Amino acid sequence: MSTRPGRPTVFGVVNGALLVMIAILCLYPLVYVLAVSLSDGRAVQSGDVTLLPVGLNIETYRYIFSTPRLGILRALGNSFLYTAVATVVAVVLTYMTAYALSKKTLPGRGLIMMLFVITWIFDAGIVPTYIVNQRLGLVDNWLIMVLPLAQSTFLLIIARTFLEQIPSELEEAAAIDGAGQARIMTRIYLPLSTPAVATIGIFYAVQTWNQFLFPLIYLQDKALQPIQLVLYRLLLSSDSQAINFERIVSNDHQILPQNIRAATMVCAIVPILAFYPYAQRYFSKGIMLGAVKG
Amino acid sequence: MALARTAPKKSATPSGPLLRHRTLWQRVKQHKFLYLLLTPGLIHLVLFKIAPVSALVIAFQDFSPFLGITGSPWAGLQNFSQFLQDPNVLRLIRNTVLLAFGTLLFSFPFPVMFALLLNEVRGKLLRKSVQTASFVPYFISSAVLVSIMYTLLSPQDGLVNRVLEAFGGSPIAFFSEPEWFRPLYITMTIWQTFGYTTIIYMAAMTSVDPALYEAAELDGAGRWKKMRHITVPSIATMIVVMLILNVGQVLSVDLDKVLLMYNPSVYETADVVQTYVYRLAFAPEGFPDYSYAAAVGLVQGVIALVMITVANRASRRFSDSRVF
Repeated sequence: MSTRPGRPTVFGVVNGALLVMIAILCLYPLVYVLAVSLSDGRAVQSGDVTLLPVGLNIETYRYIFSTPRLGILRALGNSFLYTAVATVVAVVLTYMTAYALSKKTLPGRGLIMMLFVITWIFDAGIVPTYIVNQRLGLVDNWLIMVLPLAQSTFLLIIARTFLEQIPSELEEAAAIDGAGQARIMTRIYLPLSTPAVATIGIFYAVQTWNQFLFPLIYLQDKALQPIQLVLYRLLLSSDSQAINFERIVSNDHQILPQNIRAATMVCAIVPILAFYPYAQRYFSKGIMLGAVKG
Repeated sequence: MALARTAPKKSATPSGPLLRHRTLWQRVKQHKFLYLLLTPGLIHLVLFKIAPVSALVIAFQDFSPFLGITGSPWAGLQNFSQFLQDPNVLRLIRNTVLLAFGTLLFSFPFPVMFALLLNEVRGKLLRKSVQTASFVPYFISSAVLVSIMYTLLSPQDGLVNRVLEAFGGSPIAFFSEPEWFRPLYITMTIWQTFGYTTIIYMAAMTSVDPALYEAAELDGAGRWKKMRHITVPSIATMIVVMLILNVGQVLSVDLDKVLLMYNPSVYETADVVQTYVYRLAFAPEGFPDYSYAAAVGLVQGVIALVMITVANRASRRFSDSRVF
């Protein structure tokens, strides 16, 4: 990598400009949505909102949080609950399996790994999966957001590969000092595998928060639906005018369906972006491991 | 991949004299703990990964939810011959292949080029900020993204159409025009995934020994020569791995995104095998045809399996890297 500072070249300037443009294209849609959510409905309708809010106000947010009919607050609560529980369950489950499978002396390890990989590359499809989940009582049951996706083979391989690279001398030394198996796992391996645990935790959190297909198929009960489904309903309603939004005027600011949708989007984006700084720190380490050596 | 081995009499890693003196009881106890740890994972494997594969037998049945898998009558290959005679089948296959290969063609080279260009940036701040920005979309769900595009592309007050009008064009109803479905889908896929893939390539690039570049400079190599002979080879393995992953998954389109953009006016281009399966089994109207839907899904699953296996074989032959 050329990190030497030097005189700017033509290539350097063109390249920099191009990359900055790509970066702007990545962020602009999000900035735009934030601006719409904070703007007056009239300005949105006339197309005056491009980058900054026009007629800055927070009435849309006040409206969506105080109108239970829209179900946004409850959906956000559901999403938080599902994501928190699913992430903890999935990380613990994946870590335990990965730890056991990382021990090369374990009889049956190859066979179990093979079953994981086969069921990974051969997708049974949504219908047989539905039949099984239905028999397990997961239709209109919030555990559908937690259980089926709690052990991703991809993340299992990442965690296992990471654990395999921790020198076994550490375990042997601890065993000589009289540490038990459970103690060795939690006191020696767990602190050393922070990057892997953080990586898989972030993957699971993002996967659960952003999950759309499972709630669409399994959660018909509106009280159980996460924020992503509410967003979908708002999208459909703007399409067919199924839900007729009355013209809402709050504190002299007009609130249009566009404002409501934008504010809901912001609510669906902000919480998951909280993971972003950690993701950036750990991802390159974590992903590399699984991708190359799996 | 090794099959189940019998319990080794001695530890497989003889890295100390003390280990060989472990008693049998200690070794059993050691594995006991690991099996205990493994139990929840194995239950999960059976219930949520193996059971759905076995439930595929309904593709060979005339499955009724009331009779269950054990009570439903067998139908032989009837569901598969029905698939061949289905008037939708040609359109479904054409749409799936076009969407999948279109996505691969456009979304695969993009992160490679982006990473190469990013690697040439000398200012650390600029490089970090661009990479930081490019990774943000990875966190945005398809439901949010489609909603954003819906707002930006709305024929009434969407920003894009206002720009079109300003240049004398007429507004386009992007989401109800069949010919816009694929470009939109592919653009959104690139937007969501390229920053993530770039991280992988960048990580491979940073592992290159800087001494190589210095040596190349001493030999008079310019920017392009260094890129061609040092940077590109450093990520070649990763490119192959990513290509295999992509080819293997080429037929599994992002169902979330298609369903979110799905409406009868774009069925002409948006109706792919997976959405057809979804419609057969879960559409609000009509009686669900689980067996037929499972059969269609099975055909797709087998083709995808063949593709990923062939891709994996090929990569093993052309380089040392393989995915599994």
